Amino acid sequence: MARRPSPPRSAASSQEVTDEQLDAYIRTRLALAGVDLSVLPDDDEDAPADQRRIMASARRFLRSTPGAIADFEFDPMGPAPAIYPAEVSAWNRG
Amino acid sequence: MGELNRRRFLERMTALTATAMAAPATLGAVSGTGSGVGVRPPGRTGAGGRSGEGGRAVAGRLGEPDLPPASRPQPADPTELTLAEAARLLRDGDLGAVELVEAYLARIGRWDPRYQAFNTVVSVSALEAARAADRTRGRAPLTGVPLAIKDNYFTAGVRTTANSFIFEDFVPDFDATSWARLHDAGAILLGKTQMGPLATTAASTPTGERTTVNAWAPHHDDVSPGGSSSGSATAVAARMAASSTGTQTGGSITNPSNAQALTGIKPTMGRVSLHGILPLTYTRDHPGPLARDAVDAALMLQIMAGPDPADPRSLGLPPVPDYLGAVRGDDAALRHPERGGAVRIGVLPGFLDEPEPPEDPGPDPDPDIDRIGSSFPRRERTQAAYRREVATVEARRRMLATLEEMGAEIVELDFPTHWETLTSFNFNNVRLPERSEIFLEHLRDDVRKFGVSLAPWINGLLLPAAEYVRGSRARLVLLREVLDDVFGRCDLVTQTAPFPFDMVGLPLIGFPIGFETGSTGYPRPIGGMFGAEPYAEHHLLAVIAAYQRATDWHLRRPADPGDLRPADGDGDGPRDGSDRRGGRTRSPGRYDLFDVMERGE
Repeated sequence: MARRPSPPRSAASSQEVTDEQLDAYIRTRLALAGVDLSVLPDDDEDAPADQRRIMASARRFLRSTPGAIADFEFDPMGPAPAIYPAEVSAWNRG
Repeated sequence: MGELNRRRFLERMTALTATAMAAPATLGAVSGTGSGVGVRPPGRTGAGGRSGEGGRAVAGRLGEPDLPPASRPQPADPTELTLAEAARLLRDGDLGAVELVEAYLARIGRWDPRYQAFNTVVSVSALEAARAADRTRGRAPLTGVPLAIKDNYFTAGVRTTANSFIFEDFVPDFDATSWARLHDAGAILLGKTQMGPLATTAASTPTGERTTVNAWAPHHDDVSPGGSSSGSATAVAARMAASSTGTQTGGSITNPSNAQALTGIKPTMGRVSLHGILPLTYTRDHPGPLARDAVDAALMLQIMAGPDPADPRSLGLPPVPDYLGAVRGDDAALRHPERGGAVRIGVLPGFLDEPEPPEDPGPDPDPDIDRIGSSFPRRERTQAAYRREVATVEARRRMLATLEEMGAEIVELDFPTHWETLTSFNFNNVRLPERSEIFLEHLRDDVRKFGVSLAPWINGLLLPAAEYVRGSRARLVLLREVLDDVFGRCDLVTQTAPFPFDMVGLPLIGFPIGFETGSTGYPRPIGGMFGAEPYAEHHLLAVIAAYQRATDWHLRRPADPGDLRPADGDGDGPRDGSDRRGGRTRSPGRYDLFDVMERGE
């Protein structure tokens, strides 16, 4: 059903995205969602969370996960999305 | 604002329930009607949220369960009894519910200041329920048995916090379906167990300070209790409850079970209703029991499982099998019940690989800094981790040899084609947008309410919808390959991490396979994990029950904290066991912000 993963085109290109570009993306997306990180301290290792660590985590996430998922290619007749895989197997037992 | 958001959150859950009740028409005929217990009406059930009708339904359907016979002399200390042993003695009038509840409360009062397994202990209502059980001598299968319930299960009239700022004052007015079934079966609520904040990582305060300790290393904060059902595991392992419930999104039943020599089963998605459990995701949350052995896990699951109109994921499934029948001892336990031949246990590559000796990490650059969160310097930690890996492989070998001697067939397997890619960290992250959507109002209100576990909620907002859909499709590819390439050749399969089967909703069981003496100087459990085909929990339980008839790892209990060497500066002042939220009596370490993969959720 699945084709072999293609070369890491997305992953490679995401490595070329700068921190500044990612920060702009993250802040824009959070603003569109109505989520405000500015209530967190800028940089405080003793705080449960701070903006520096949250932004660093978000950049790592964006550099790895979306590209890796996008790189996994399907045949046109690949499975339709179903978010409960185990249940699909039960429903298909006839 | 916080109260308003809680109300909106709960209104959304009610709306989801309404949607769920309309769902069967789109799913075709409902065939799964074989629950071991009666199905309670969903949602709010009136005063106290409990239904006497439901209790009668349980008693009528499960009746007096044919519990396996006692396999050992019954211990004098009632807290040493397994769930099934206690149920049998209570049924026969050889043990009083008050005696049992008082024994557990005494241990909680004496030792929970050290363990911090409970968020809330409801001693007054537990004793009232025990007195009522002794008066009525009810015939429901768990009459008078006290349980610890994870603090993300709704418990009517009892605070349900998910150990979070968001729900710190939330008191539901109805019971989660799975707890309602246990309660209707006669179980007594002893308390709510401490957990990772909002069911992420191991138990800590919402700001990340460690709380619950591993019952096998109560003086060492750096020995993980497993998460996020940490308190549920410690409560059972430390003999402060007969059994407990947990939820698993990324290992949170099997990991703490492995960490504390318990038997925990994460059932197939849909086998146990999620109605009334605070969600972390829609697609990967699984409720299930953490128990002292496979018989107890079977008894708990028999009651918890079954269709629930309030949760469409539980409808249209194969009937619930006879779990108690599966764990009853007989010579055919390691034969496949339907196919008839030997049970085939698949072993995936790497399961028995010897670990490479570690390179010398060098001395601690700054001992004062390096020891934060750990009692031991770096070199000692590295060597201890290596010794533990060696001991784990040896325990796995021994476990497989035992099962082979008992008649199982061991089958060497290759990984399915896309296993490495589709079980990777990146594909595991496909779950994250679900939690961000569930808690979006709270994220918009104040991100500080998420404390130490904020990062994955933010990351979930950043995964584009196209990649979420593609990741969801990829899980079906993974499932197809697992069904064809793995379960085409075996019945059960070894697992070294819970995430692959969590991703596709397949059942897992965690169980003890040995011990090693680590840097703490006293025994630490080693756990094993098996997975099975969808809705084949009875196969997992049957094989592990047979394994436990041939071994005694599950019978070993940790020493009380007072009998072990405390670490420098540790204390364990007594606590009275009355209703309270766990306060700190020691100086805890802190969990890192991004350690979910290691600690579970």
